[in-house]
Amino acid sequence: MTVKWIGKRMVMGMIVLLIVSFLSFFIMHAAPGDPAAAFYGGNAQTLNAAEKERISRVFSLDRPVIAQYGTWLAETVKGNFGVSYKEGRPVSTILFERLPNTLLLFGVTMFFIIVGSIWLGTAAGMKAGSVWDKGLSTVSIVTSSIPAFWLGILFISFFAVNLGILPSSGSGDIGDEGGFWDKLRYLIMPATVIILTHVGIYARFLQESIKVESRNYYVTVARANGIAERVIRKGILRNASIPYLNYIGMTIPSFFGGSIIVESLFSWAGLGQLTVKSVITKDFPLLMGGILLTGLIVVVSLFVIDLIMYVVNPRLRKGDVR
Amino acid sequence: MLKVDHLSIEIGGKQIVDKSSFFVPRGKITSIIGESGSGKSMTVSALLGILPPGAKATGKAVFNGKNLIAVSDKEMGEIRKAHLFTIFQDAANSFNSSVKMRHQLYEFSGRRTGDSSQQFQMKMKAILDELGLSAEIVEQYPFELSGGMLQRCMIACALYVEPDLLIADEPTSALDMVLQQEFIGLLKRLNEKQGTTILLITHDLDIVAEAAHEMIVMRQGEVVETGNVMTVFERPEHPYTRRLLESRF
Repeated sequence: MTVKWIGKRMVMGMIVLLIVSFLSFFIMHAAPGDPAAAFYGGNAQTLNAAEKERISRVFSLDRPVIAQYGTWLAETVKGNFGVSYKEGRPVSTILFERLPNTLLLFGVTMFFIIVGSIWLGTAAGMKAGSVWDKGLSTVSIVTSSIPAFWLGILFISFFAVNLGILPSSGSGDIGDEGGFWDKLRYLIMPATVIILTHVGIYARFLQESIKVESRNYYVTVARANGIAERVIRKGILRNASIPYLNYIGMTIPSFFGGSIIVESLFSWAGLGQLTVKSVITKDFPLLMGGILLTGLIVVVSLFVIDLIMYVVNPRLRKGDVR
Repeated sequence: MLKVDHLSIEIGGKQIVDKSSFFVPRGKITSIIGESGSGKSMTVSALLGILPPGAKATGKAVFNGKNLIAVSDKEMGEIRKAHLFTIFQDAANSFNSSVKMRHQLYEFSGRRTGDSSQQFQMKMKAILDELGLSAEIVEQYPFELSGGMLQRCMIACALYVEPDLLIADEPTSALDMVLQQEFIGLLKRLNEKQGTTILLITHDLDIVAEAAHEMIVMRQGEVVETGNVMTVFERPEHPYTRRLLESRF
């Protein structure tokens, strides 16, 4: 049962990645502009038509898009992501340089968002009508309405320009091998911006699930029969965590979308910033690699969330669809 | 055992129960009967201190020398744990769906009496056996069991804890006729064997006739008649009771 379930999830994940790659490949080629010209950057005007054609032929850009996609897919499945147009290095090398930074930012922010929202959401949800309850409802609207890029600019202006205590951008000192503390200094601002703009809305979601769950019949029955409040709360929290986890799962893709902006703003050398850069330079192999790897992180995160749900919710395990 | 005196319940200015007074004698099955909306379930909520937010109860309900309406939350919690057991109407939703029955049954029974997990398992197994339930249900989740089985689980816990007062709020209305009969039989046995005082809330006169010794008739938030079941059935005084009895046949 469990093996079958995991297998099904994995197949679904692969299908998602296939669709993502297919769509992005076609959207990429539908975008205006000539990759051959973009390849030459500032010197593009000096190219004559024959040279452009030659470049297109060399990179197989003159073949039908579907054929290009087929070739790309066949190579990718073999583990060959190709070579970056712009940097001339293998895409996989570049991706693996960027991956740790993205995972660090994603891991740290997600950790604090989850811990923070569980703490706030539980405190607010368990005491309906309290200051916590009303406070969180208001604060979450405010924090989630603040655009991350705007808060980021405020942070840079305050902590980097005015106070000069934090670096405004980058992900490590230049020429420095970058110890842990060094990295941490660069991480503080982008991470704080993402956490602050997200924790409220996640906490609010949990707060509402807890409040809905607390109104359930079994809670009254348990309370009427003198069951310890601690036990009742544990039960409520367990059930309320199911929609909460679902919500996290649903928002992870858009969470990544948001972190691309923050990565670009702080020049955090992660996948998001890389993807944005490769769009501008029309570096197709690198862009496809970046999209695919980001997609993979999303799919794996969703898989982990599904796995937690599977453990928490016995109905899933028992195949009950009521 | 329980003496309710001028109990009134108000929700947002609306009078739900109006100065109702009745007495639940020790060792007997007392039934509150009335149509839906007569305030019988609200009366139970007030006795248990689980009124919905915004509801306010006044008057007295003296149980073992303590006024249930006026005690602190902490004291109420202790009374519920030590002396009362309540079975509700909707057994299917009376348990947390994502927790195994073993843990829930233990919280409803063994934990209250202070038994260890091992003691609980032995004693509960015997009770479940007696009720015709397989011991395997403790390894299952509530959604894998039927409403009738879950209601029997509830009564298993009542049998286990042997409360001073068992309150059963429409315990059979979600069950079919056969299970209803069986359940009433269990209540009677609990009363006869363990001498448990039972307050049985129902809208079904047949159940009153079958099980109860004393009855309280409620209508639109007021207690209109109280007395011995035999006496009331033979000589109903209030016109509403008479109508109720006539509609039975």
